[in-house]
Amino acid sequence: MTLVIQEALMTAGAALLQAVGLLAVAPLLKTVIKKMKARLQNRQGPPLLQGYYDLAKWFGKEAVRSETASWIYVAGPRVYFAAALAATTLVPVVFAAAPLEAAGGILLLVGTLAFGRFALATAALDTGSPFGGMGASRDMTIAALAEPALMLGLFASALAAGSMNLGVLIRTLLQGGIALHPSDMLAFAGLFMIVVAETGRIPVDNPATHLELTMIHEAMVLEYAGPDLALVEWASAVKELLYLTLLAGLFMPVGMATTTAPAALLVGFLAWTGKVFALAIAVTLVESTNAKLRLFRVPELVAISLGLAFLALAIRFL
Amino acid sequence: MEALVAVGVPVALVIRLASVAAALGLARHARACRWAALGASTVASLLTGTVALQVIGSGHTIDGVLFRHTASGTVLGYSVTPLSAWFLMVTSLVAVPVALYSAGYFAHAVTTARTAAVGTAFTIMLGAIEVVFVAGGAIEFICAWEVMTLATSALVATEHESRASRRAAYLFLVMSHVGTGCLVAGFLILAAAAGSLSFPAILSGHIVVGPMRDLLFALFFIGFGVKAGLIPFHVWLPEAHPAAPSSVSAFMSAALITAGIYGLFRVCAFGLGTPEVNWALVILAVGALSAILGVLYALSQTDMKRLLAYSTIENSGIIALGLGAAMLALAHGRSTLAAVAVTASLMHVLNHAVFKGLLFLCAGSIVMATATRQIEQFGGLLRQMPWTGVCFLVGAMAISGLPLLNGFPSEWLTFQALLLGFTSTPGLVRLNLPLAAALLALTTGLAAACFVRAFGVTFLALPRTPSAAAAHESPVVMLVPQVCLAVLCGGLGLFPGLVLDALRSVTGSLPGTQPGVEVRSMGFGMPSGLGSFDHVVPALLALALLVGVIGAAALSSRRRAAARRAPTWGCGGELTANAAYTATAFSKPLMMIFRAVYRPTRQVDALAEVSPYFVQQVRYRSENEPIFERYVYGPLVKGVVRAASGMKVLQAGSLHAYLAYVLVLAVILLMWLGGTT
Repeated sequence: MTLVIQEALMTAGAALLQAVGLLAVAPLLKTVIKKMKARLQNRQGPPLLQGYYDLAKWFGKEAVRSETASWIYVAGPRVYFAAALAATTLVPVVFAAAPLEAAGGILLLVGTLAFGRFALATAALDTGSPFGGMGASRDMTIAALAEPALMLGLFASALAAGSMNLGVLIRTLLQGGIALHPSDMLAFAGLFMIVVAETGRIPVDNPATHLELTMIHEAMVLEYAGPDLALVEWASAVKELLYLTLLAGLFMPVGMATTTAPAALLVGFLAWTGKVFALAIAVTLVESTNAKLRLFRVPELVAISLGLAFLALAIRFL
Repeated sequence: MEALVAVGVPVALVIRLASVAAALGLARHARACRWAALGASTVASLLTGTVALQVIGSGHTIDGVLFRHTASGTVLGYSVTPLSAWFLMVTSLVAVPVALYSAGYFAHAVTTARTAAVGTAFTIMLGAIEVVFVAGGAIEFICAWEVMTLATSALVATEHESRASRRAAYLFLVMSHVGTGCLVAGFLILAAAAGSLSFPAILSGHIVVGPMRDLLFALFFIGFGVKAGLIPFHVWLPEAHPAAPSSVSAFMSAALITAGIYGLFRVCAFGLGTPEVNWALVILAVGALSAILGVLYALSQTDMKRLLAYSTIENSGIIALGLGAAMLALAHGRSTLAAVAVTASLMHVLNHAVFKGLLFLCAGSIVMATATRQIEQFGGLLRQMPWTGVCFLVGAMAISGLPLLNGFPSEWLTFQALLLGFTSTPGLVRLNLPLAAALLALTTGLAAACFVRAFGVTFLALPRTPSAAAAHESPVVMLVPQVCLAVLCGGLGLFPGLVLDALRSVTGSLPGTQPGVEVRSMGFGMPSGLGSFDHVVPALLALALLVGVIGAAALSSRRRAAARRAPTWGCGGELTANAAYTATAFSKPLMMIFRAVYRPTRQVDALAEVSPYFVQQVRYRSENEPIFERYVYGPLVKGVVRAASGMKVLQAGSLHAYLAYVLVLAVILLMWLGGTT
């Protein structure tokens, strides 16, 4: 019995550690991308710690809420934040196992993120401002379209490894050694597009805009201020980091720790940092060299991604 | 207790008949009449529910006789198999809250003069659907099926002053009878081949062989598909479900469509012998089509009850996806995979019944409070109707397939069935399965968009009309059933393992399936798949989310000042309800993206009095083309009418001609029969 309790405590500890760790790093990733983008445009860009300064500033302010809003408006950011946090415990980061592997795999991860999105989009409709509705409508539209491509891309990887559980999946990949199958390339390309769409980056959404006609995510959270806004922004940053970590784990699992030896963990940490940084560079390059698509061109992008994922699945098994 | 369970089904029927008599007798006293019909109905449903739970628990079939006429040798029997018991249990689970709710709802929504008729029809419908599930033979089945259809159509036509209601009831009757015709033909073919009318004899499999089997599948598929609301047999559903009183709509959407699903299970999948691969593909294709088109049409609706009706078509499609995967597995002899898929499908039957029942009951409360069904005329209802709002939110989250609620486990299991089917069946055909999974993912995403829209526009922001501003919460007798169903949504979502274990005896009783460790509970969660394919324990995620919410609250808790309230920025003017995003605007991007499906026509008129540059009023009209009505049923109806007018030549109204027909026919028959003997 004590063994069970001990194990549960270990799991809870690992989950908490991973969640807090990703929370701590996430604002840095956002700023690093901003900084690299600025350098590409021959600007200085913000200081590396700007993400933390912003969060500290928002948390220090009072929350201003609409008179027409109900408790849904207050619950939205909190549930969104909690969903992002819960999602971090479902993905292997440094160690080749997710802390809450016992809870579920890919489908639960996608479901958890959908949970947060549902909460935020609902809350956006609460103030009565047209911007919230506009953002919620567009965000749900893109999310709905991205869902099949995301799922199919993940299925292509999962079916190849014979498990939908991310920990088992990555351990299987690690045992197999580095052998990139052509289908991995296709699945990676498809998933990368979806990650760009889901994290609100150019060419799907512009995170830097505040022009009402082009905003998606920003329009949805336009009414939020103070600590409420801090929670939303922080959770979005965590989500982005999570998606990049997921891509790194699924397609470049090399270096992930399989034992708890300090050396292995250190290698795992360095490998993870390197991979996420490399993907961040890719995101920056895509964002700097593309123009934002019209909203009604996004389905084409998603359709390409869906096609790639399906091809990946087909050539792997036929 | 044992004795009661053994005779539970006939006793429940007797209670229902007695309550019908009592309700008719008390027709002049609306209140007493309501309680006579609905109270007795509740007792009878509880009784059948107990019988069903007993059968599910033990896995043993209960047989019995409903009616015996010794002189003619007529025996009508019933048989509660584990499969019947599952559907019986689901029906009772919905019928009890619906009956309680109706006691409050009918008082407001049904006039005194009609109370007896509605209460009676409701009770008869409940009794008939129970007999459909437990029928021991084709005669019992068809009779109960027909009574169910007639009682339902009476309920659909409750407000028969309105042309729309009459039309809905008529359409429902026509479609149902086309379906019933197919069923009668199918059962007669089977009965002729087996020489018996009892289900164990005619549904033992491989009674007929060859192309005849395919024909039988087609007949039963159409017959049951109509009732299940599968596209393309769905046209009656979005008309009939909204026309009935809301609590009856709840029962129709949650339980009545499962009569069709039950038939598909009992006959198409497990009654005609090992299914062909092609049958499985038909079911999969129709399931995927129903799921995706159902949710797309739901997204475009501004009538709350029609929206929910279309979403029923979607969920019927998801149920069919699971069934299709099961039939594919059966066709390839994969017994454990078939068990996973059957479990997924049956679990969704239960989960859909619970959340759709809940949503329709909430919709009934809203309609009662605001006297309209138009989403665009609601707004801000969460303030006036806090309980209904929370219940609707729970239902909306469940139907969107979000974890922690009950839509998620069954959709999760359906994904498992489709993906495992891909890895463990041979041939190119299996590529359809991940495609179906992708369509299921799209359906889930669109359903989330649809219900963010439905909840947000109805309950949030400012009231859009005076009637929405003056809305008030429903009485307790209507709230309690809603809250019970909402709690059930959460319970079934957090502990899906319990449902999985309950379904083991049902799955095990079906021929060709073998529930292995894949479908056994794991803690409170569900494992699935061969080896360590996947598992899910929603309760653990609930813990993680709880910790996250506490963390967020701790981070954002302010020691110094409470949150400041300020008016929403109205873009420079005063913010009115007109500024808020409408439901039409919310779904506009998706309507434009899927315009190939909707084929919309829009008309914008700018009305000006003096000069065209000073527009006084803009009128906007947009309509989606009803594809199935226009391109499938339109030509069909025209063809039937043309054939009928062609046959008018025969029916000239002259008695002499008719006598001549009879004579000619008799001669031909005599020659034909004489020739054979």
